[in-house]
Amino acid sequence: MSAALQVSGLVKRFGGLVATNDLSFSLNEGESLGLIGPNGAGKTTVFSQIMGELRQNSGTIELFGKEISALSTPQRIRAGVSRTYQIPRPFGDMSVAENIRVGLMPDDIRRMIFSPPDTERERELALSVGFSEEDLDRTPTELAMGDLRKLEMARTMATAPKVMLLDEVFAGLTTGEIAQISDLIQSMRKDGMTFLIVSHDLPALEPLIDRAIAIERGTMIAEGSFSDVMNDKAVQASYLGGA
Amino acid sequence: MGLRWFHFALWGGLIAGMFLLPQVVSNGTLRTMIFANYLAIFAISWDVLSGRTGYVSFGHPFLIGIGAYTTAILTKRFDIPVEISIPVAVVFTMIAGLLVLLPALRIRGSYFALVTLAFMELLYQLVQVIRPDLTGGTRGMSGIQTLTRGAANGYYLSTALMLAIAVSMWLLMKTRLGTALSAIGMNEESVRGSGLSTTRLKAFAFLTSAMIAGLGGAFYVHYLGSLAPRALFDINFLFTIIVAALLGGTSTIIGPMIGAFFMTFLLEYLRPVLPGAERYFVYGAIALLLYMYQPKGIVELVKRGFKNLSKGRTA
Ligand SMILES: Nc1ncnc2c1ncn2[C@@H]1O[C@H](COP(=O)(O)OP(=O)(O)O)[C@@H](O)[C@H]1O
Ligand SMILES: [Mg+2]
Repeated sequence: MSAALQVSGLVKRFGGLVATNDLSFSLNEGESLGLIGPNGAGKTTVFSQIMGELRQNSGTIELFGKEISALSTPQRIRAGVSRTYQIPRPFGDMSVAENIRVGLMPDDIRRMIFSPPDTERERELALSVGFSEEDLDRTPTELAMGDLRKLEMARTMATAPKVMLLDEVFAGLTTGEIAQISDLIQSMRKDGMTFLIVSHDLPALEPLIDRAIAIERGTMIAEGSFSDVMNDKAVQASYLGGA
Repeated sequence: MGLRWFHFALWGGLIAGMFLLPQVVSNGTLRTMIFANYLAIFAISWDVLSGRTGYVSFGHPFLIGIGAYTTAILTKRFDIPVEISIPVAVVFTMIAGLLVLLPALRIRGSYFALVTLAFMELLYQLVQVIRPDLTGGTRGMSGIQTLTRGAANGYYLSTALMLAIAVSMWLLMKTRLGTALSAIGMNEESVRGSGLSTTRLKAFAFLTSAMIAGLGGAFYVHYLGSLAPRALFDINFLFTIIVAALLGGTSTIIGPMIGAFFMTFLLEYLRPVLPGAERYFVYGAIALLLYMYQPKGIVELVKRGFKNLSKGRTA
């Protein structure tokens, strides 16, 4: 059986900087993998390459056994992978419901025109990330950081991914919101969703993942269970030592 | 967001009102309104592309010009009936736009505006040198067939055309397509990140915009009966279109319509006081003021006004 996501020998250079250095890892279907590393280690850059927003210099990215490096971002999303952004990027003048609507749209202009929006599904997604009924008509300018992250989750879920990449899901959230998002991730894991999760909040991350990999300056320095990775000498030196 | 009964009531009221107008106003006013109708068509065309997606076109006179020249040449030089020449002009505008402007949609921001501006200027230079026997060169063309006689008929035709375009664009933009196009204007990366091919969406918006520009340009030239390249490919004409859309409120259909009427009548009333090009400064200033205090335009001011009124009543 092929992995849900298989990254092999990935290299990304920004001029002289090697942001991803011969990185390989794989993610089985239904598995949840934590990606940790200090600021600037290259975690977000890995996400951008998987989504096709950045082109790798070399290496392959396979989704369910199919090489996706030649696909555009929308094509990759249709193939079943979707991400959230570290800095939420909502559509500022649209309501929460309309933001989610964009995620739900088929990439087909005829269907966009002739079939109506699925407002019930919009509502369902909004409620599932913890919005209330009244929030549906609010615009992002009226929302707090926590709500923006929830919106980011909901819009990503709307694209019906099989593999979700979550970038700093807990940044800027209150304890209550962290619990809410954690519950959501746990219930999606039960339903078989595959996750790759980046978070600086390690205590919050631990229960959400089966395994972890740690990177530093684009290079993998440890791989294994969460506690193995945390106890790794190199990880403690680079990551915990700095923090 | 959905279609509501009052939407149709408002449109119905507007349509009825506009068609009854010739009973009560003078022919002079009707002639001004004809210009307002065509300006509204051009502003809607501009807004469908630029107001929604944020790709600011400085090339709309280019599109309008292709539509106008095509039908003018076909009817005057080749005696082709308007029933054929106008549809051909529309298709030509879409093709010409596709060939020269569409590649520019891959360029972001101000560069897109610059490229489109360059094409407007290029066409202005070209019509003067390439086949002046067909285009009339610098002097343009006159004696082009007109479709109507008298102010009232010209008004009815332009009103019907403008309202048909406005209502169909309003319906189209009420669908998820309209939402997707507006989303591009707010954050194109997020639209791609939501799984939508923005290139295809922008191309669709562009072709729709070109179609309306071609249609408007063709009917306009058959109203005027003449064609002057200096007036058509003019920066003032371009700014009038853009300011009308911005002033009324972009990403709406009614906004560019209101903006067009506002601008046309303002210009008309300023004519005796400021006969020269100074009046363009005046509405430049008005646009700037409105843009500073209410960037969403007149439509938003009216909406707020209504909200405050109903609040006042319930309080
Ligand atoms: N588009 C870019 N151009 C140049 N350098 C970049 C770009 N994106 C990221 N970097 C650099 O690559 C490194 C990794 O960044 P990033 O992936 O954002 O790290 P992380 O998400 O782990 O904090 C950083 O040194 C960053 O400055
Ligand atoms: Mg990051």
